[in-house]
Amino acid sequence: MNPLENFRMAFESLWGNKLRSFLALLGIVIGVFAVTAMISLGQMATAGITQDLEAIAGRSIFVQPNFNEGQDFSTAPIREEDILALQTLPAAVIPQLFTSAQYEARPGTRRSIQLQGTPGDLPRLDPTNKLAKGRYFSEAEARGGLAVAVLSDRAARDLFPGREAVGQVARLFYPNGARLELTVVGVLQPPGGLFGGLGAAATVYVPNELIWNTSPTARKGQYDFVVLSLKKGADARQVTRQAQRIFESRYGKGKYQIASTESFQDTLRSITLILQALLGAIAGLSLLVGGIGIMNIMLVSVTERTREIGLRKALGATSSQIRQQFLIEAVVLTLVGGLLGVVLAAGLLLVITATVPFFKVFILNPATVLLALAVSALVGLFFGVWPAARAAALDPIEALRYE
Amino acid sequence: MAPDNRPVVQMRGVTKIYRSGSGSRTVEVRALAGVDLSIYPGEYVALMGPSGSGKSTLMHIIGLLDTPTEGEYWLGGEPVRGLSEAQLARIRNQRVGFVFQAFFLLPRLTALHNVALPLVYRGLPAAERLKRARAALEAVGLGDRLDHLPSELSGGQKQRVAIARALVQEPDLLLADEPTGNLDSRSSDEILGLFDALHRQGKTIVMVTHEPDVGARAQRIVRLRDGRVAEGGMV
Ligand SMILES: Nc1ncnc2c1ncn2[C@@H]1O[C@H](COP(=O)(O)OP(=O)(O)O)[C@@H](O)[C@H]1O
Ligand SMILES: [Mg+2]
Repeated sequence: MNPLENFRMAFESLWGNKLRSFLALLGIVIGVFAVTAMISLGQMATAGITQDLEAIAGRSIFVQPNFNEGQDFSTAPIREEDILALQTLPAAVIPQLFTSAQYEARPGTRRSIQLQGTPGDLPRLDPTNKLAKGRYFSEAEARGGLAVAVLSDRAARDLFPGREAVGQVARLFYPNGARLELTVVGVLQPPGGLFGGLGAAATVYVPNELIWNTSPTARKGQYDFVVLSLKKGADARQVTRQAQRIFESRYGKGKYQIASTESFQDTLRSITLILQALLGAIAGLSLLVGGIGIMNIMLVSVTERTREIGLRKALGATSSQIRQQFLIEAVVLTLVGGLLGVVLAAGLLLVITATVPFFKVFILNPATVLLALAVSALVGLFFGVWPAARAAALDPIEALRYE
Repeated sequence: MAPDNRPVVQMRGVTKIYRSGSGSRTVEVRALAGVDLSIYPGEYVALMGPSGSGKSTLMHIIGLLDTPTEGEYWLGGEPVRGLSEAQLARIRNQRVGFVFQAFFLLPRLTALHNVALPLVYRGLPAAERLKRARAALEAVGLGDRLDHLPSELSGGQKQRVAIARALVQEPDLLLADEPTGNLDSRSSDEILGLFDALHRQGKTIVMVTHEPDVGARAQRIVRLRDGRVAEGGMV
């Protein structure tokens, strides 16, 4: 008797018991559905996070004084000579200043806003900054410390609600009351993706030189923060190590925090991995429960079909042919369940990609499908062994006598 | 009719002891107690005797569904002792056709597929199996019921499907255990007529029955009493 014959026979017998077969394989359907959906969702999440991170931060390295050491900001600044040293690396070096300022939302009410010093022509240095309107102040304007500003999308809406910001004058105040009047030359695009909501800070970008000249706390030639925007083909890990070496040789270990966006991605990836492992465990549990369900239904089936088994033996079936028949029936049952589970998972993934903006691409690897089906077949094989052995061991006479 | 060739069935001192229970509570039932029996090709033998006398047990041993506890049995001249489970299954498939009182048709298979079932275990291609099954059903007069399920057939028709299933094997030996036990008298007559016809075609038939008028149609009656052949063993 060939295996194909066995499969046909298994299908016939399962089809004859549609409702019960379906109920029996519900556990398998859920288990395989969970496995498939979780693996693919994990892959889709990783893809989404990676894309979003690259959109807002590109491939960058961030250098800033390490606050964990309990030091004062001003005791560990980044100096002009550090910037010169960093410029030997394959990256655009963008030294920046951070300070806070206030603006008059209504007469008498002042609100905080972030003031950020940058070099001129930032979008060219770091392409993740995209202009929505106007222009970015030039390198010459930046060097001259002119009172010009580019606003983040949020800052434009806060400072000039319902009005065109470009061309306006923004009035800001330092905490000590000193006034700053800035001509707005451009507005940036809001960041997209998952980080669109989180990263939508109200920020006013001005030349570093201007902050040095006007802020009561900033000191000329000292920066708070440096972004290294990696050139194409540069290796993030290697450049990170080189930057670390520059700062360690000058100031010792642990004074500066130097991390790349890729290390953030690594963190996100490991979180995703833990999540997947957890969900995989849940899926495994439901497969175990599903498998026991299959075993149960197969044992019931063997008992119910005692006479059939006896008859088949009387007609010349060997014990191993009977065993094969019931094993294949269990495998067909779980494979059908696995197939249903994969189809359900694919449906869910399609709905998610269509409705949740974060999940941009539908990912269902053939390897995942193959794994899901292999797992369901193995579950059938494993949990079918005992019922099949019981069927094979039946004494034909006892079986024929069985009422 | 004088037997002029080698017996299909030859038994010497065949004993079957059933043990049930365990330890000191073991109960032994001596279903057969030294049966000597020969059956020759083309014979139509009725196996008779009171209930519990061992008729079914003897038939199961003849058909290799069971093995003797003691004694020797040759089927078609070859000793049965020492054959493996798989060998016994193969011989059952190729040389023995069973007909049971309770028909034993698979309820989800059509008449045609029920009849083709033994050939599945012979490894024949599907087309060939169905061709032979159709011919067997036509031979028992059910050429117009090929695609009927057992539930759509009368008792007599079911038993004819079962007989076709035995015939499709082209066995050396047709074994029937009270084949008319579940049938009304008209269907019984039909089935017995069919066996008469098969006998005329030269088939070797062993039929278990406890009805004298059924036994009367056979060529020879073997009477069992308490697990022994009381009459007609003809060794
Ligand atoms: N599997 C078994 N276990 C124990 N006793 C059995 C078994 N099969 C048959 N017997 C006993 O063997 C005897 C013969 O049974 P059986 O061959 O079925 O008789 P018959 O068919 O003539 O009515 C009976 O006493 C029966 O109870
Ligand atoms: Mg009986």
